[in-house]
Amino acid sequence: MPEPLLELKNVSAYYGPIRALTDVNMVLYPGEMVCLLGGNASGKSTTLKTILGLVQVGEGDVFFRGENMRNKSTSYRIEKGMAVVPENRRIFPKMTVRENLEMGAYLRDDKKAIKEDMEYVFSLFPRLEERLNQMGGTMSGGEQQMLAMGRALMSRPKLILMDEPSMGLAPKLVETIFKIIKTVNDRGITVFVVEQNANIALSIADRGYVLQTGEVVLSGPAQDLLHNEAMRKAYLGEV
Amino acid sequence: MTASKTTSRATLITIIITLLLVALLGWRFYSLGNYTLARATQDFLNALTLGSLYALIALGYTMVYGIIRLINFAHGDIFMLGSYLAFYAMALTPMHWAAALLVTILLGGTVLLVIRALFNLEEPKKTITLALLLFAGTFFLLAFRHMGWIEALLLSMLATGVAGVLLEAVAYRPLRGAPRESMLITAIAASFFLENLGQLLFGPRVRGFNAETILNKPLSFSIGHDTVYFTGILVMVPLITALLLFVLNTFVSRTKLGKAMRATAQDAEVAQMMGVNVNQVIALTFFIGSILAAAAGVMYSIRFGQIHPLMGLMPGIKAFTAAVIGGIGSLPGAVLGGLLLGMIEIYAVSLFPTLSAYRDVFAFVLLILIMLFRPSGLVGEDLTEKV
Repeated sequence: MPEPLLELKNVSAYYGPIRALTDVNMVLYPGEMVCLLGGNASGKSTTLKTILGLVQVGEGDVFFRGENMRNKSTSYRIEKGMAVVPENRRIFPKMTVRENLEMGAYLRDDKKAIKEDMEYVFSLFPRLEERLNQMGGTMSGGEQQMLAMGRALMSRPKLILMDEPSMGLAPKLVETIFKIIKTVNDRGITVFVVEQNANIALSIADRGYVLQTGEVVLSGPAQDLLHNEAMRKAYLGEV
Repeated sequence: MTASKTTSRATLITIIITLLLVALLGWRFYSLGNYTLARATQDFLNALTLGSLYALIALGYTMVYGIIRLINFAHGDIFMLGSYLAFYAMALTPMHWAAALLVTILLGGTVLLVIRALFNLEEPKKTITLALLLFAGTFFLLAFRHMGWIEALLLSMLATGVAGVLLEAVAYRPLRGAPRESMLITAIAASFFLENLGQLLFGPRVRGFNAETILNKPLSFSIGHDTVYFTGILVMVPLITALLLFVLNTFVSRTKLGKAMRATAQDAEVAQMMGVNVNQVIALTFFIGSILAAAAGVMYSIRFGQIHPLMGLMPGIKAFTAAVIGGIGSLPGAVLGGLLLGMIEIYAVSLFPTLSAYRDVFAFVLLILIMLFRPSGLVGEDLTEKV
């Protein structure tokens, strides 16, 4: 096994006195695509925020590229190679598509490489190039999702964290989005995707973790999870 | 009632009120009889100057509100501080070189450190250039010059900007994450603190601010048979304001840090996810707001000729009103609101001389009207919370 890209070791996290994560262990290897499943309030988003340093780790440690991230700022982690596609897209509504993409490259100074990456984003999402000078807030939900993904790619990340990319999108669009996620993953970028839509996430992921009230209750290769009895009952909508 | 119906009704009422106002003014122009073009020009110059000053102060309120949703009540006192710094700078006589050197190192050093942190100047080359400029400039001013108003203005802008950053670091930063009310109350406390500190340090009495420059020389030109009287400051204020607005606009729309500021105002958490250092952006916002307030303070003092430690109160409240009228959080709104307020104040007094005692009332009547019919301000965005 190669060196893990991201590792959560016995992580617990708290909002004030309330414990949101309990003793979570996860490993992501370079180039993998891993999904994190779970119902509402199961701690999925908190896991992402803990990885990013937006929520402080209570106990345990987060390692990224072999380095302990304890007390490291979010911007440090971004510079190290993390990128986020946040829940609900959350693009900057009053900035143009171009400016949104530029914000993705905020910590970079290599103008030439930034331009190349923008070209790459346009090759994935030709729509964005057409709308380059349009305000982000005036675009449709699907376009905003593309912009949010493009913005994350602009930091030339090692690891992309995606929070519910399917939320609020038409089924057809969800398929397109996941196809693109796969394309990005095939380029060697590790993808960690949090999803409620377990079916589609498991169909393209390598492995998966299942959270329940802040604890990992199941984990394993995506195919196994897809056919796991308990999993099917709880998350795949089969009685 | 549907949202669109409410909007169209508000628009209708706005139009009706505007028409009524225009009719009233028209009737007044006509019935005054002696309201000549020259007088109108003179009023316009006064209004533009006052409006520009309000606009400059209002920008500080609106920028800070846009970034951290705080009404910085101490902003008017930052304006006062700017005036006093310029006042003392102009009163200085050239120092002994040793004293000048000491002050240069202390003052220049602080400014250098703050600017370096605010603008991410990591390259040593840029830092050294900036340091040389700052130190040489300050030393030259202190040791050899009787400072004129331009030098005092620049020096005061820099120093007040740093004071704004300090205010944020001491009073507001420890409360990041606390309920908004706590910050608001702290802002009021900071305002009282600065006002009392001002009385302690500068003395409570009113002092003359005599900028003996061409700015206060009476000038005139004639239109037809009538003469327009004015002073240089009436021309200089709008010009300097326009220049500052141009620089601000370029900074906010073109530079990386300016974009980071806008991004933070729109969604601070996501800006952080892009790697923006939110603390830096907040400090930068206070720096810029305070610089603009200092510029306004110095020009206000030249215009009205006197300063005192509570001078920031009224302009501060008026500028805050202007920011709300324009739509708090919006930069163009603050400028528009400021200019509008200046116009209303000057023209109301000029057209209705009997009402001149109520001068300050007009601004607040307008505020109430705006709050009633267009609560998000003239160009402000919808007040509905983000989902």
